[in-house]
Amino acid sequence: MLNTLTQAFALITTWEVIIAILAASVYGLVIGSLPGLSATMATALLVPVTFYLSPIAAIATIVAASTMAIFAGDIPGALLRIPGTPASAAYADEAYAMTRKGEAELALGAGVWFSAVGGIAGTLSLMILAPPLAEIALSFSTFEYFWLAFLGLMCATLVARSSPVKAIASMFIGLLVACIGIENPGGVPRFTFGMTDLFGGIEPIPALVGVFAVAQVMRAMLTPEPPPIPRRKFGSILAGQWKLTKKYNWQMTRGNIIGIIIGVLPGAGADMAAWVSYAMSKRFSKEPEKFGTGHVEGLVEAGASNNASIASGWVPSLLFGIPGDTIAAIAIGVLYMKGLNPGPTLFTEKASSMYAIYLMFIIANIIMIPLGIIMIRLASHVLRAPRSTVMPVIMLCCAVGSFAIGNNIFGVVIVATFGVIGYVMEENGYPVAAMVLGIVMGTMIEQSFVTSLIKSDGSVLPFFERPIAAILAAMAIGALIWPVLVWVWRKLKRTPVPAASAR
Amino acid sequence: MRLPDRVTGLFLVGLGAAAAYGGWQLPPVPGQPVGPNVFPLVIGTGLALCGLAIAFGIGRSFEEEEHLIPVEGGQPPPPTSKLYGLRALLPPALLLFYVAIADRLGFILTAAMIVYVTSTALGARWKVALPLALLAPIGIHLIFSKLLRVPLPPGVLPMPW
Repeated sequence: MLNTLTQAFALITTWEVIIAILAASVYGLVIGSLPGLSATMATALLVPVTFYLSPIAAIATIVAASTMAIFAGDIPGALLRIPGTPASAAYADEAYAMTRKGEAELALGAGVWFSAVGGIAGTLSLMILAPPLAEIALSFSTFEYFWLAFLGLMCATLVARSSPVKAIASMFIGLLVACIGIENPGGVPRFTFGMTDLFGGIEPIPALVGVFAVAQVMRAMLTPEPPPIPRRKFGSILAGQWKLTKKYNWQMTRGNIIGIIIGVLPGAGADMAAWVSYAMSKRFSKEPEKFGTGHVEGLVEAGASNNASIASGWVPSLLFGIPGDTIAAIAIGVLYMKGLNPGPTLFTEKASSMYAIYLMFIIANIIMIPLGIIMIRLASHVLRAPRSTVMPVIMLCCAVGSFAIGNNIFGVVIVATFGVIGYVMEENGYPVAAMVLGIVMGTMIEQSFVTSLIKSDGSVLPFFERPIAAILAAMAIGALIWPVLVWVWRKLKRTPVPAASAR
Repeated sequence: MRLPDRVTGLFLVGLGAAAAYGGWQLPPVPGQPVGPNVFPLVIGTGLALCGLAIAFGIGRSFEEEEHLIPVEGGQPPPPTSKLYGLRALLPPALLLFYVAIADRLGFILTAAMIVYVTSTALGARWKVALPLALLAPIGIHLIFSKLLRVPLPPGVLPMPW
């Protein structure tokens, strides 16, 4: 244990890793604080760069950039009422109300302080949860893996903030995309339409860049430019945060726990954690009437929650290759590329790398406090960059980055195509996160499904015979029929359904 | 680009049916009961069923309206003519333009055009767009070609490094 820890320290105290963490932190802070550029997009655009780094440095950039971007989203939320990332949308109103009351320092300070606390709590959960789960997972056969992957996909559809039917449809679209190529049980070209470029299948990373970056540029074409941030001087950022920590200790802990749970659930990420925690904070608050008027309590809970979910999202990713959220989906791609294939054996064979990941999370969350304060002070300069100068650079990064992944110009075609797909889906209420999970997990779910079927000679019974498989199956099927039950129940009760009016 | 649920639902029914049919046509692995055909069959069927449900409006009541935060003091809402919506297709079109032309024209020139068009489309004046179109491609070229050794096409204007 101590030996592995020393090795892990040696792994991360190289110049390459230190520079990677610092550069990725600054990058994450800037992208996260620009409205309309999400943390997932920041991470996806970083992947081509990670190709040329050592495994630990590559993971370090992902960890640092995603952690910083989630916090940095709070900055324009508080100063402009425009969340920098979707994860800050839940409490942007509240933070802006505080700014108008003249408490901008307190709101932003709470953002940076409780984000760091949440991030460290999430890391602790990763350290505590992952190794024992790995022990259990070692005895898993393809039946368990199939149900686990299935359950993961169902979770992703349950937590989506849209119609579950559309979420399931999105997931199926993703799985269908994963069918493309010759990497299937028969080794025959499937859905390639005679195009050799499609033989290798659709790489998840260009698809992700398309869905999260190109679609965002497309949306920017149709939406008005956000107003520039007013120049202002800030007082002490961290003043009063310790008092808040003591006063809202329970809220903070609850935010951490909710964030960890939502992070572990596949498909549900930081934005979901923030919405749930903010709602919870309001529900259980002693002074719910103050919410919405510039009250710091909800910020404490939701700010801790969204950062806690980032680290705990790595638990299912590292153990099973099932992404906890869209950022973890990108991280899985990087892990595979760097020879750290996700799986329970990772924790025994590459224990020092795992400890290095924990350490990087803790370091990233600690340096977030000074870097975050600098970023807050510089915000009025950085956020003056008009969209018409940022978006063209994003476009170039999309083109070059997707080319760099395989030195193949076809990657750019994939990016453009998925930009359109992502845009149309999002406009019509189909959650793209569910599709992304389908793409990432498609090969794995097909392999475990077909191998299980071959083992069982086409019979369905063995899918339920092993105890853990049976439990997972029950949960997965429950998740599948839950929306149906709710729908039937609502029909029977004949409550006046709030019509989803077309915009 | 907001289409009625009936349209997207029926499109998914078609896509699912095509996928199931395409999967069914695939050759099985000799001597094995399941091969590459099973998974697309299952997925396609599921997708078609979901499409039907969407077309008939099942699950609509779950949809939450997006919490749109109105921008205070922003510009007036954009005009909503049919052609205006097509602007959204500009970014993917520019990327396809890059695919078609980058090898012949080279990275720097193609990238400069993409930057200039995107920037102008987002409302920048030429005083901003032109310097950006000159500097951004060179910067990206430095990072990706020099630092990360991505073989970007030199075309008619190779960079001196």
